[in-house]
Amino acid sequence: MATLEGFRDKEFLDQITILNEISGNKDSEHLPGLVKLLKSPVGDTSIDYMVVNALNAVLSQSESETVAGMEDDHPGYRILCIRVAGEYGFGTATPTLVKIAEQETDPDRLMEVLTSLARISDSGALPVFRKYLEHEDPFISALCIEALGKLRDLSSVGFLKTILTESEAPDKYEICDITTWKAVESLAAFDTEDTLAFLVEKLHHKNPTVRRIITDAMTDIGSPVIPLLLAAFEQGDTDMKILTANVLGFIADKACADGLVAAFDKGLASDNNVRYALYEALGRVGTMKGIICLVDGLTEEEELTLMAVIGGLEKHVNPGIVAKLTTIVQSATEQGDRVAKAIINTGATNLFDALYENAGAGDGLIAALEQSNDPEIIEEFRSLLLEIGGSRAEQDLARLPQPEAATRKALAADDSRSMCAMHKAILTDLGFDPLLAPNGQEAFELIEQGEEFEIIITDMNMPVMDGLELVGKVRNTPGYEDVPIIMVTTESEASQQNLARKTGVTAFITKPFKPDELKEKINELLA
Amino acid sequence: MDVELAKPFIKAAVDVLSTMAFIQPQVGKPFVKKNNMAQGDVTGLVGLTGEKNGSVSLSFSKACAVAIVKNMLGDEIEDILSDVKDAVGEMTNMISGQARAGLAEKGLIFQGSTPTVIMGDNHTISHLAKSPIMAIPFSTDHGGFTIEFCFE
Repeated sequence: MATLEGFRDKEFLDQITILNEISGNKDSEHLPGLVKLLKSPVGDTSIDYMVVNALNAVLSQSESETVAGMEDDHPGYRILCIRVAGEYGFGTATPTLVKIAEQETDPDRLMEVLTSLARISDSGALPVFRKYLEHEDPFISALCIEALGKLRDLSSVGFLKTILTESEAPDKYEICDITTWKAVESLAAFDTEDTLAFLVEKLHHKNPTVRRIITDAMTDIGSPVIPLLLAAFEQGDTDMKILTANVLGFIADKACADGLVAAFDKGLASDNNVRYALYEALGRVGTMKGIICLVDGLTEEEELTLMAVIGGLEKHVNPGIVAKLTTIVQSATEQGDRVAKAIINTGATNLFDALYENAGAGDGLIAALEQSNDPEIIEEFRSLLLEIGGSRAEQDLARLPQPEAATRKALAADDSRSMCAMHKAILTDLGFDPLLAPNGQEAFELIEQGEEFEIIITDMNMPVMDGLELVGKVRNTPGYEDVPIIMVTTESEASQQNLARKTGVTAFITKPFKPDELKEKINELLA
Repeated sequence: MDVELAKPFIKAAVDVLSTMAFIQPQVGKPFVKKNNMAQGDVTGLVGLTGEKNGSVSLSFSKACAVAIVKNMLGDEIEDILSDVKDAVGEMTNMISGQARAGLAEKGLIFQGSTPTVIMGDNHTISHLAKSPIMAIPFSTDHGGFTIEFCFE
């Protein structure tokens, strides 16, 4: 049986054994002795540390002693009890903790008290969390925001909304504060129609990090937010439609596709960019209705939009799709050529494989493939043809152009697969060997690996690292001070062009554009 | 991640730098990072496992790292490169250890890996995480450094 009697005179090893035993049995009879040891320490760091651990263990079994200890005269013991109360969620500690928090002026100690209150998560603490919501220490403020969200304190909703609204102010929007981050998460945690609708409204926040946090929060919430997103899609402007379509695609619920198709049928996707986002989302979700809408989209004439349709269908190949595509591709019409070209340019090998069985459709695809200058694409389909085998495949293989390895390299960064495929087709046509990246970070990694690019094309908004940051980094890289950079923007991003130009963008091209326009721009810059 | 995890690291960074290198850092305003890369000239990186899994990095500007070494070693610098590497590794280890002790007192138990030091002017390192990364900038008379937190 461990005893603390004469503890100070004992050998080091005995002291350790005793404290270990107390930590294990957590017997409250040792409390007075341990408190004495804490208040006048032995002086050996490891022993003193073990005393704290043993006290923590003993106090964990005694809620009343812990609560009493929070008002002890000894500051060290006070803090220890405050922490224990939080760690073990002692509900009866709330009133005392609230009282301490109300009077505490030192930010570090206040943080300790509030942390414990947050861990206990008792509604009795609401007044103090509200009181320190605007504390100058961002950690304290963020902690209160988080706690109020967890406790679903509806009366704070207004303030949280204000945080998010004010974070868009001209002098603030460039940085995403931790308070803004926590405000979004808390508003999402409330999960009421009001807070979710507000978040949907803020989908187009000026700061890309905040946009991403909101998008992630909505993707996590899923079903409850779908009707709100669909409403925003119906009522919002072009940008809102694109953003909501993207989020609906990420949620990937059947209701997302149904709603998008309904909106499409109402004629709410007349804008090319909106239809593009809608097709991409439908491709992600992949419900029957969505696929039918995608099949209908095969009449799209614009190259990029058609590529989004093909990209979506590629993920859900079924006999119906194949039959429809076969008819179109072997029809020897302009649309047939366009669809065949889109299948080739998106690298849709599943569709190709299914269509090739039909000799007519196969011919159409091979004709499109012959026109491609992209060695990678040709290689991809070449190996597919080898796999398919047979005499017809062998003859077709002989028809394929032998790609010459391009030596001039170009870099394209875009988070949309279809945009990447289009950049690739354009750059290959111009005789470049294009390297593609889904975001700024991966693009920059290619540069860091020592690749030398003659031209760089980048999207403005991308996850992980956006276009502006990429441009800034590229311009700071030796040898890249003058390499032409073309930024792809939408109409609505025009306001950010000034900033982009200052960062080092050479030229802009606004979506939607025809491949020839981009080609012209590239030739102009490299002339 | 919870903001409460950050405070012990801030306290440890200030404590360690002021006691070991006689540099008094000023804490700046924390923010959420746009990407998941740490950027600096010298970075100390530790992996943490336990309550949550993640990594914490301390990225120093060259001037700040050199100032730390000079203050710690005085005139005994033999090879500035290896001394910087050593000092930043040691700093990171101490800060991680002290912060973990602080967290343990609150019942949050973490194990820390031995620190890795990465050097290279304006290098970048990727943290692996899905959740947003919080960064805390510090300024000193000799240039700045940043602590970044990244948890699953």
